[in-house]
Order: sequence, then C-alpha cells, then structure tokens
Amino acid sequence: MPSRLNSFADLLALAQKTGQPLDAIFLAEEAAERELPADRVFQTFLERWAIMKDSVRRGLAGGKSFSGMVGGDAKKIIDYVRGGDIAGGRLVGKCIAYSIAVLEENSRMGIIVAAPTAGAAGMVPGTLLALSEERGFDDAFAARGLVVAGGFGALVAGKAELSGAAGGCQAEQGVGAAMASGALTFLLGGTAVASVHAAALTLQNTLGLACDPVAGLVEVPCVVRNGFTAMLALTGAQAALAGVESVIPMDEVVEAMVKIGEAMPRSLKETADGGLAMTPTGCRIRKELYQIR
Amino acid sequence: MISLLDIVGPVMVGPSSSHTAGACRLARVARTLLEEEPVEARFELHSAFAKTMRGHGTDRALVAGALGMEVDDPCLKDALDLAVQRGLKYALKPKNMGPEAHPNSVAIHLKGKTRTISILGASIGGGMIEIREVDGFPVSLSARDPCLLLFYDDRPGMVMRASEIIGRRGINIASMEVLRRGKGELAFMRIDLDAPLPPEDVESMKRLPGIRRVHVLDRVAGGALIT
Repeated sequence: MPSRLNSFADLLALAQKTGQPLDAIFLAEEAAERELPADRVFQTFLERWAIMKDSVRRGLAGGKSFSGMVGGDAKKIIDYVRGGDIAGGRLVGKCIAYSIAVLEENSRMGIIVAAPTAGAAGMVPGTLLALSEERGFDDAFAARGLVVAGGFGALVAGKAELSGAAGGCQAEQGVGAAMASGALTFLLGGTAVASVHAAALTLQNTLGLACDPVAGLVEVPCVVRNGFTAMLALTGAQAALAGVESVIPMDEVVEAMVKIGEAMPRSLKETADGGLAMTPTGCRIRKELYQIR
Repeated sequence: MISLLDIVGPVMVGPSSSHTAGACRLARVARTLLEEEPVEARFELHSAFAKTMRGHGTDRALVAGALGMEVDDPCLKDALDLAVQRGLKYALKPKNMGPEAHPNSVAIHLKGKTRTISILGASIGGGMIEIREVDGFPVSLSARDPCLLLFYDDRPGMVMRASEIIGRRGINIASMEVLRRGKGELAFMRIDLDAPLPPEDVESMKRLPGIRRVHVLDRVAGGALIT
C-alpha cells in the first residue's frame, strides 16, 4: 500500500501543508492503515503508557537480574535524587534513574514495552515520565509524546532494521534516544522541524555504537547505557529547542546509520565476540555464568 | 509505513525483543501451522541466536511459543518446566546456516500426534519476525496480516477455485505466491488477505479436489494489537 509518509522529509512537508501537530499526523496514518478510528488507536497508546509507567515503578524497587550481574542501580540513583542535592537537577536525575529502572525490570524477565526494542526500552518511558512529573503533564499529554516517539521510530524502521545483530547498538539505543528526543521536543512545545532536528542530532551522536554485551546478556552495558543515552535525548531536545539545527538531515543520518551498521564487524553486532564482552573480566563473567547453569 | 504499535511495543516479557519476543512468535507460528498440540519440538539456532541463547531466555521463549504462549505471558519464564508438565519433549542445538542467513535465524521442527511441520524463520528486530521457509518451500511471511497457506497437488484451476471462495466472501487478496516442486507434484500457494477468511470458507477450501492442507495464519505475530 503506498503510504504518503515514508521519510522525515515527507513528515515535515505534511506538517507544513496541513499545520497539524506531529501526533495527529502519525495517529491519522496509523488509524488509516488499521481501518480504525484514531481515538481507538490513541487508547492503545494510553494503555501502553500505563504499562511503561508501571515498569518504571517496578524497576525502581530494585532486585537482581536474571544472571545476577546487575540490578539495584536505578534505586541508588533515585534515592540520590530524592536526597535533594543533585547537581544536574531533578529532571536529569529522574531521566537517568527511570530509564535504567525499565532495563533492570527487563533484565529480570519482567513485563516491559519495547521502544523500539527491549534492550533500548528505557529512554522513551524514562525521559517522558521524568519530564511529565517535573512539568505536571497528565497521562493524555504524555501519551501524545509517545505517539510522536512511535512515529519517529516507525520512519526509521522503514529504512533500517532495528536490531543489534543487524546494525549494532546505534540501531537500538541510538534510535530509542532519537525517538525520545523528538518526543521531548514536541512535549516542550517545539515545532515539527525542531523535533526532527532533535532526533537527527541525537542519532548522529550514537553512530558507530557497538553492541558488545557481556556474556551475550541484555545487562552490561545495556542497562546503564539506557541512562546515558537518555541524556543524549535530553541534550538533543534542549539544543533543538534553543534553535540548534542538524547540518545533516535526519533521513541522511538514518542512511549513514545503515551503512555504518553494514560496515561493522559481526563481533560487534550482538554476538558477544568482541568489545566489552571479550575483555578479561567479560570473559571471566561469561565463564562463571555458564558453569553455574 | 511500519505500525507505530510495533515500535512502541510489543508489551513483552524481557529481556530481548529479538531473542525473547521474536523467538516466542516464531515458535507460535510453527505451532499454529501444526494445528495440534506438539509432543516434540526441535530447534536449530544460527549465529547470534545460538551464541546468546540462554542469557536471553531464547530457549524458554521458543518453548513458550511452541506451547502457545503470547510474548507478554508472565509464565514465559517458566516455559521449560511447563513443557515437562505438558509432555512436550524439546531439544535445542546450534546450527551454522552459512554467511547469507540472518544472524537471528532458527529452524523449528514440531511433531504432533498426527502431523509434523518445519519452518525456517528470522527475528528481524523489535519483536518483528519473518518466516522464510515452510516445509521446504521458500516464503516471505511476517505473520502479522491474515494469510492462508495451501499445499495441494499441482493441477489446472487451483488458483481460480481458491480465489473464488475468497472473492465470494467479498475479501480482497493483497498479494499471492504460487510455487511447486515440479509439474504435477506438490504445490504451494500463499494468499495474503485484507481481512481474515471465516472458518466455514476455510473448510470449503479444504474440501477442494487436490487440496492436501490449508493453514490459516491470522496475526499470530503482532497485528492483533488492538482488540
């Protein structure tokens, strides 16, 4: 089925022509494809948002991962934030803690919402929830941000496979951070153009990111990395809202990501045959884990 | 455009959308095609799928899918124990499928009381899957949209008879593919539909002369996200 929305260039042209906000454009497209009313599709986003918030809450409670390698870091950070004297401010502290919390819950085989993948599921709910709490946004407004995040991810997914195995971590956490960045910009009142610049700035600063998980688990470095890439999302949104523009358009950043993913060796694409996974400590952990079981 | 709900989703048991959710869906497709309770499941895992199998719970997810679980079923993590309880024998082993195969490829062989099915599929990111072979026939299936798979004896008029049943119901065919082992031998038809075909029409299709099997794949892997 020919879609009128296949690239970020199409999106910006449509936003300019219709004057509609980004979430309305994406919702209309999704509703048309599924032959459902837009409010019914939005209801599903509200439901997903509720599950996302719950996964943050469960994650913050702490507990060890499936392997025992990670767990409890989100709780440490949120306790530090609640202590009051956090240098970066509460928004920054919560973005980091909440993003990590989702991934810790994921590593315990808890229920999460992939966004766009499970290993990169932290940034979108983490940053949107932190912002909503700090700005007093209600769920209905936050879920509009979630629609924008989903739309940005869908446009990237039309051109690139979103898996560490095919494209390295850039294709998972890079895309997740870009989705979050665009959504944050939208929720903070940025224009469609600014939201796309935010995503482009964020994604281009994750290009080349290796997927080298220790013992092949979605734990090290994936769990804390969601907190770090959440900061990229916030940086991208703040820069774009200030008027910073990406020199390379988003569609071309996505193309670059695909080409870099193809050029990356298999050892750095989820096989746990390189990078952090093959450090002496990484090898020791793998050996210990697989001896126990 | 790819569905936004496939990107902000699926709602799933962690830890990996490719290795847990995608694996579960691939096995669910095989179970759906088997059309009965499997008693034996063999999984052959390629490259990244094999290397990180235990850490991602890929073994549990594949078995969970063979048992018919959804990706958000909290019992997914107990699938290996549940398999023992429900009398499903399973085996998993690595298999090098060559440099051309997708790194997250798996071959699934299920055996039920009366029949068997083999599929080859790949988990292509974010929980999305692609079936590349069904009983040796090359296909390309996302298992998201309503789809029919027909196995039949190669003879004239089969496409017409099958499409007549669909057309009579007023359902549109989105795309189709016809293959055969050889002239007059076993043939295969894949029909993608815009809406699911009612069960009574599927039954009429099964009664067509020359038909061996009709499989229905209705949004096994996602798709039916809005209920």
